[in-house]
Amino acid sequence: MGYVAVTAGEEIIERAADLFEKQRLDGDAETLSVVQLEGQLERLTAQAASEGGLYAPRLAALAVKQAQGDTVEASFLLRAYRSTLERWDETVTVDHGELFATRRVSPAYKDVPGGQLLGPTKDYTQRLLDFDLEAEDGREGEPDDPTAEWDVADEDPETVTNVMAILREEGLVEEPAAVGETEPSDTTRTPVTHPAGRDEVLQELARGETGALTALGYSALRGYGQVHPTLAEVRVGRLPVKIEHPYTGEVVTVTDVEVSESEAVVPVYAKRDDPQFAFGYGLTFGRNERKAIAMTILDASIQLDGRDEPAENPEFVLDVIDGMDSFGFIEHLKLPHYVTFQSILDRIRSIRERTLEGDGGANSGSDPAPTEVETDD
Amino acid sequence: MDDPNDRADRFELIAACEGAVLARLANEILESDPPLDVLQEPKPQLLMQRVREPVERRPFNLGEVVVTPAEVELGGERGFAMRPGKAERAAFSGAIVDAAIAGGHDRRATMTDELAAAAERREAERRRAWNESRHTAVEFETLEDDG
Repeated sequence: MGYVAVTAGEEIIERAADLFEKQRLDGDAETLSVVQLEGQLERLTAQAASEGGLYAPRLAALAVKQAQGDTVEASFLLRAYRSTLERWDETVTVDHGELFATRRVSPAYKDVPGGQLLGPTKDYTQRLLDFDLEAEDGREGEPDDPTAEWDVADEDPETVTNVMAILREEGLVEEPAAVGETEPSDTTRTPVTHPAGRDEVLQELARGETGALTALGYSALRGYGQVHPTLAEVRVGRLPVKIEHPYTGEVVTVTDVEVSESEAVVPVYAKRDDPQFAFGYGLTFGRNERKAIAMTILDASIQLDGRDEPAENPEFVLDVIDGMDSFGFIEHLKLPHYVTFQSILDRIRSIRERTLEGDGGANSGSDPAPTEVETDD
Repeated sequence: MDDPNDRADRFELIAACEGAVLARLANEILESDPPLDVLQEPKPQLLMQRVREPVERRPFNLGEVVVTPAEVELGGERGFAMRPGKAERAAFSGAIVDAAIAGGHDRRATMTDELAAAAERREAERRRAWNESRHTAVEFETLEDDG
């Protein structure tokens, strides 16, 4: 059964949209600027960019403003905008080791070369409401810089050694088989087919919905899977965006993008006679460590290619992980389904009538036997 | 990326320079009304960011980055620029600046100084970010059980 178009007054739809917009503008508070959103709610805008699969911080802030803070709606807006743009090219492939990290912690190695850099985080503080933030409202002048009194060194920036590289040097990680450089699949242009390649899995996870990744990753930790990783490291920093200059052919840097990265070492006990390590990797746009870690768990789980546990089933994970897909399917249910529902009503009534006729009305005072009804949505 | 006279270095300097600086430089170049052809209109486009992951060392597509490229011909010299984000004016200005420097414009020295100064500011920001991060370096200690 297909969908049947319904009509309603366009003017009424516009009125409803106006009411939605009024909600944002109602009250005495000044409107939030896109610049404020980009600068002060960066984690929110980063989530929208990550789930939209589109890195453009200012546009992500605009999308968050338009969506009134709904990250999935915002990422939908970003993907819609993206669909209007031409692609200039793919970038030159950058190695993840080129990440300029401003935060790097290794839960696996206490004395990791390059050190543990906590960077900007509140991970090690108590989660208590800070009522002092309320006092910022309406305050004039520049806000106080909490780092103003810091006496920082003046060292040349470095890139920190990657923990996976250290494990490789120690022979604890198998060298990948030498394969020729292959063109990675692009799931924005070619739908994923199963079995999915690792490049497709990583791309889909990187643009997946944060909550969905977190829930599925958590399911593995709660026992619905074998993977309970030790994180080799978690990093936040900036990754260069490089192209070949159209005149000279030289590799040049256009800009850099903020990313969160996570790597995990996972002991796998499925084969008792051959215990081994598996590795998981997570990388996503913006500051979103939760998503990067969840992606790491799912990457490691999917490599097990199981069918019994949700997180280990690549088809299941990739089918439910995308925010646009799930948002669209869940929320479409609130749109008119009058014909579908009328059809169900007709069948139910018909079944009831046939049941009543069959028993000669003997059970007319009681409910008919439960009958399975198929819907065709 | 420190030689504004080198095409590749200049590309990076223009990409990193503040848009307002580029716009001012481009306006100064256009004051004398030189012949200008737009070879590529500045409009936002996409770059698919490719990253090599560490497990199997294979590339994958992380996601797309919005950039704005532009290309002009100024007085017979081509200029190309690409700016991050939706930045039509900055990209167009950057392409004009690129062409002007390549063509030996009278104000070439001023322009290269401005680009070098912008690069210094950017490097200072990067340096500050690194050193602030280093200021949060911690050594975790394991509490051994003597018993």
